[in-house]
Amino acid sequence: MSDTGPALRLRGISKSFDGVRVLRGVDVSITRGTVHALLGGNGSGKSTTLKVVAGVYRGDPGGVVEVFGTPHPADSFSPQQAHRAGLRFVHQDLGLVDDLSVAANFGLVSGFPQRLGAVRWRALHERTARELAAAGLDIAPQAPVRALRPSDRTRVAIARALQDDDGGHPLVLVLDEPTASLPHHEVDELLEELRRRREQGHTIVYVSHRIPEVLAVADDLTVLRDGVVAYSGPVSGLTEDHVIAMMTGLAAEQAAPAARTPRAPTTAAPLLRVSGLCTAGLGPLDLEVRPGEVVGVAGLLGSGRSRLLGLLAGQVPRTSGSVQLAGREIHHRSPRAALADGVACVPEDRARDAAFPDRPLWENVSAIAFPRYARWWGADRRAERRDAVKAAAGFAVHAAHGEVPFASLSGGNQQKAVLARATWTSPRLLLLDEPSQGVDAMARRDIHSFIHRHVDGHDRAALVVSSDFVELAALCDRVLVLRDGRLRAELTGAELHESAIALAVHQDREDPR
Amino acid sequence: MSPASPAVGTDPTSEDASPASGQPSPSMPAKGHRSLGNVLERYGLLLLLLAVAVFFSASPVSGPAFRSSANWLTLTANQAVTFAVALALLFPLAAGFFDFSVGAVAATSSVVAAAAMSHHALPLGVAIALALLTGLTIGLFQGVLVAHLRMNPFIATLGTATLLGGAIFAYTGGLQITQGISPALTSAGSGLWAGLPAIVVVVALLALVVWFVLDQTVFGRRLFAIGSNVNAARLIGVDVARTQLLAFAASGLVGAAAGVLLLARQGAATSDNGMTMLFPALTAVLLSTIVIDVGRPSVQGTAIGVVFVAVSTSGLTLIGSPAWVSSVFTGAALLVAVAVASLGRLRKGR
Repeated sequence: MSDTGPALRLRGISKSFDGVRVLRGVDVSITRGTVHALLGGNGSGKSTTLKVVAGVYRGDPGGVVEVFGTPHPADSFSPQQAHRAGLRFVHQDLGLVDDLSVAANFGLVSGFPQRLGAVRWRALHERTARELAAAGLDIAPQAPVRALRPSDRTRVAIARALQDDDGGHPLVLVLDEPTASLPHHEVDELLEELRRRREQGHTIVYVSHRIPEVLAVADDLTVLRDGVVAYSGPVSGLTEDHVIAMMTGLAAEQAAPAARTPRAPTTAAPLLRVSGLCTAGLGPLDLEVRPGEVVGVAGLLGSGRSRLLGLLAGQVPRTSGSVQLAGREIHHRSPRAALADGVACVPEDRARDAAFPDRPLWENVSAIAFPRYARWWGADRRAERRDAVKAAAGFAVHAAHGEVPFASLSGGNQQKAVLARATWTSPRLLLLDEPSQGVDAMARRDIHSFIHRHVDGHDRAALVVSSDFVELAALCDRVLVLRDGRLRAELTGAELHESAIALAVHQDREDPR
Repeated sequence: MSPASPAVGTDPTSEDASPASGQPSPSMPAKGHRSLGNVLERYGLLLLLLAVAVFFSASPVSGPAFRSSANWLTLTANQAVTFAVALALLFPLAAGFFDFSVGAVAATSSVVAAAAMSHHALPLGVAIALALLTGLTIGLFQGVLVAHLRMNPFIATLGTATLLGGAIFAYTGGLQITQGISPALTSAGSGLWAGLPAIVVVVALLALVVWFVLDQTVFGRRLFAIGSNVNAARLIGVDVARTQLLAFAASGLVGAAAGVLLLARQGAATSDNGMTMLFPALTAVLLSTIVIDVGRPSVQGTAIGVVFVAVSTSGLTLIGSPAWVSSVFTGAALLVAVAVASLGRLRKGR
């Protein structure tokens, strides 16, 4: 190992799947002791690059992964070699076991100190306590991971990845969207942690969808587009518009979020009227949604925001109260009943609650509407597939053809396909929980415009839960703020701004009004 | 089955379907290009079956006997019951469950039908109806255990199978019921219709019905949706508990039909607990998951699987191999087939 030169250098990295080249000669050089951000839209080759560097995917012959001056051929690089070379990875799901203590989670990776086959818990706790202290974390080693705040979990995962080597030789720490699942106010703590790790001499490769965050924390930046490097250089002097333009290949104004033109308050009869609605942890709640409105619901985790959507979608039973849709009292005891009344939802956890991963794209899109293609002689699959593919194209889903398995699509394309599914039956009330979580800027903008397209000029409305206040401000006509299961504020017009929403969400228990 | 789709709605294609991003909407072909590798993957087992059949037909040792129509008639008639039991397995398997009770259900139903004719002198039609009712009841019972009491299906069906095996032994005392079986039934079990074994014709009709239900109806699509992702199935409007219950009911009914066919074929109700029928049927159903729609079981694939095992076993016997060879061959074929399918998936993922 030489002491100068780049910490990590990729030379001519290519990767093909079934003859299709997803990465085409990626060259990146990452300077020691810097935070280097890796950006790119869905399908840009960002995840593939990471997996080649981690030794999970074998690159095409010819590529070289050079770590601290030692070259490794990319077509035979293994996870073990990556670890020995000094690469450490913290994946988006962190790889922590919720039911175990922090110390046990450390032990799972570094091994458990033992005597006569029995775990020496005290030694493990002492060792873990040292690591946590070194990381500046005020957490007991005995604490269950389940009890930690989201940002502390991420920091624990980072401390675990860097353990034993702390203070020793510097490492390259690769973080895959570490802030994607964090509440807004915890993001800053994590970014501070990254800066601290950089000061310790580590090199950080940081993958994110959140451009402002990247501009705030990264020294250098690499943008991938269509499997090639579109930009690789210092961050200083770049603006969000520049980065979006590099990611999309379009001029920034084309890719900017389509701002919602504020609509005049309508006097039409409400489409949805909720009164005195109660369930465990929510209510009593009164709210009205008018036709053509996109209404946001903001609140912290546990504020009841997802519960409200679940209740309207028939997933959570109510204890009391009334819900009227278009003047008719409705009692949804199941998602099936809700769908039959014209209430469709796009769930938060796509993999768990929406995906039929092994099934083709078209079947996923027509998953709600398919009974329409039942004929006396069987299923009219040809017509169903044709219409499903058309619907998917109408939602800008990019896929080679309609029969590719759903799981092989990028996150943004999956989300657009789920949106195509939910809107197919023209629901009067569209419920969306974190509609653009983990999707790139372009897909997010598409998703927003599709939501508007669905409600504009129709007798329909949408209710959107999001922890991203920028998204709520851009997407919604009106934002409701929930705290402790109660409606605490309602923001419209000029108040409808990221910082105003953040303020209302984090306000103390006193009612601001 | 009432569609879950709302009454209101329009065709998605009639809507303004251009993305607002200003990009041209991508023209996406509905179907992918079928490469040779793709075809081999989808029909590999069928090609292998043809190869095995050609080999045993051409071999000078087994050829003459193997090619004879008598061999084919016996071979297919013998496999008809196995195929019927495998058909019963398909309903729960579509929803993601193995049903270990189908063999026991078939055995129980055959005892019920035989006892109705032999001990109670009931007419054939009534005996068959009682047998089918028995299977349906057992299926509903297991459906309630799994769908409503949320019992692990492995335990629920294995427990039921064990219980039924014991009940059969208690009732028959371990003796076959051979007296008083309607000759109309036994002659159908061994006779020919239009040159084909009658039992094969009956099973083919049964298979057609099962195929229609699984492949062409809303119910079948919902079953497979549950098998793919039960949470997502619930959110697209599937009544999961009811659909699971119906899957077990359908399995019980088809299993009972297999029991009646068993009685017809053997001319006597077995005192066996049915487990010996389960494993060949399971093998066929598992083989079906590597045919056509890789990863998902199908009626067509099950038929190919049953015939594949039967042809190999028959050929190996005719060529003079000892009896254990066919077991080893079948087991190895299953392992290789499923391994090839898994490798294919792994390769795609990497």
